[in-house]
Amino acid sequence: MATKTIRAEYLKGLWDENPVLRQILGLCPTLAVTGTVITGLAMGLATTFVLIFSSLVVSSIKKLIPAQVRIATYIVVIASFVTIADQFLKAFFYPISEALGPYVPLIVVNCIILGRQEAFSSRNSVGRSLIDALGMSTGFILTLLALSSIREILGAGTFLGYQVMGPWFKPWIIMILPAGGFITLGILLGIALTIESRTKRS
Amino acid sequence: MELMAIFISAVLVQNFVLYYFLGICPFLGVSKKIDSALSMGLAVTFVMSITAVVSWLINNLILIPYDLGYLQIVSFILVIASLVQLVEMFIRKISPPLYQALGIYLPLITTNCAIMGLALIAALNEYSFVETVIFGFGSGLGFTLAIVLMAGIREQLDLSDVPEPLKGAGIALIVAGIMALAFNGFIGMLT
Amino acid sequence: MSLSSRMIIVLTTVGLISGGFLAGVAKLTKERIALNIQAEIEEAIKEVVDDAEVSTVLYEEEGLVIYRELEEDGDLAGFAIQAIGVGFQDKITLMFGLDETLTKITGLTIIEQKETPGLGAKITDWNAFLQFWEDRDATGPLSLRKPSVRTPEELMATEINSITAATISSRKVLEIVNLSLDKVRELIAKGKITDEEHDGN
Repeated sequence: MATKTIRAEYLKGLWDENPVLRQILGLCPTLAVTGTVITGLAMGLATTFVLIFSSLVVSSIKKLIPAQVRIATYIVVIASFVTIADQFLKAFFYPISEALGPYVPLIVVNCIILGRQEAFSSRNSVGRSLIDALGMSTGFILTLLALSSIREILGAGTFLGYQVMGPWFKPWIIMILPAGGFITLGILLGIALTIESRTKRS
Repeated sequence: MELMAIFISAVLVQNFVLYYFLGICPFLGVSKKIDSALSMGLAVTFVMSITAVVSWLINNLILIPYDLGYLQIVSFILVIASLVQLVEMFIRKISPPLYQALGIYLPLITTNCAIMGLALIAALNEYSFVETVIFGFGSGLGFTLAIVLMAGIREQLDLSDVPEPLKGAGIALIVAGIMALAFNGFIGMLT
Repeated sequence: MSLSSRMIIVLTTVGLISGGFLAGVAKLTKERIALNIQAEIEEAIKEVVDDAEVSTVLYEEEGLVIYRELEEDGDLAGFAIQAIGVGFQDKITLMFGLDETLTKITGLTIIEQKETPGLGAKITDWNAFLQFWEDRDATGPLSLRKPSVRTPEELMATEINSITAATISSRKVLEIVNLSLDKVRELIAKGKITDEEHDGN
């Protein structure tokens, strides 16, 4: 396998190997907290924190961990950083923590994070793992932003709480409901794949 | 909330997949055929019920009395990972064919947000022991219901003409959205 | 070193390091978190009882807390009642205020709810719902007025406004308040709550 350039290593997370749209991972939080842009963004940042630090730690200690206990070790490392993120939010951003509810602790089972440790951090240098984590996180945040922007603008007429649609606009409540999340993500996935096949063809 | 309400709520009104968005990965991954969906659903229900018991015990006998609330996430996920290992070994001994059928899906149950979600939500709502067990069992059934329904629909969809980019996850999500809307109708059932 | 002992050592070390680290973080954030929870309650109390400065818990049971509020100079400002009940979708946590005579509701605010966005969730909206809760008569049960009215003057003192297309959520809030008021009256009859000021008690 050819070694990618640093740039390529980072960029792959945004599109080619976008964790949500291409790898179909991390869907639970993606659907659950994208009703508003602020919660989507908060979740993205919290996940980024966990992914980056978990990757750094796992990559640093990869030689010390016997293969049989690697999953358990990854889990403990990831769970610790999730706990830190959760405590931090509760202490300094209480309203957002309330809005996100049980979904911050659920970052611990976000397949993206565990997946990256197994697929990448455990086999690559600390530097590369960091780049990979950054790329995946960026891809994840961008996807969350796209989904939550659509849902908030169409579902409530606001963006980050600020009214952006005029009074003539009747919000599509369905967008804020779970159904809206499913359908919007499904359509986004379809669009991503269409773009992918179009660019492959040309 | 009395027990019946918690049960019905978990299965229909606040269905783990269609309301809480938990268990989406297996929901999309294993819902292609009705029988594998059913097996997965039952395995999940089994693990969820046991997790409900163990997580309640850990939370109420160790974490809270000793003020170790911050260890909740770490302890819950470790318990779940171990339970899944045990269930895997158990099924392998008791019924090798079933083990073959479920294959890779068993270890995947660990990262099934539904199980962790169950432990967290039950703890958040401060349910009693009995309430937690009913909640765990009900949520598992709700998950099974959603995944089997989805498999039924997808088996039909396989025979129809889905646009290329939507095949697979895309159309599954849209179907899930419509199912979520349908289940929305159950709200207020308990009023 | 055999494999199993290596496995155990690695796992134990990782476990201990994480545990220690988390304990440290928990210590740092603990107070802050408790304060945040406290602040949320205090803010709700201030919204429903004017001039509330000093708060004491008078009575507490599952799903109900009654606070006595004093003004800065020690005068009785009123009472705040925090109640949790079942809404249409999920639980609703609310706070409403009673005046010093325990006969009038001074206001209501919703602390937590998960009602349908755009419909039931309007119970948190001042114009649609909350403004109609001021000056309600708390001496007897309150009832729901349908269809919705536009101004508070159109309501009788024992009525609250129902939100268009969200009657059930409105009714749920009403039920929680009525049940709480029943409890308050019960406690008054037992002498546990009085409307007299207690100086230095």
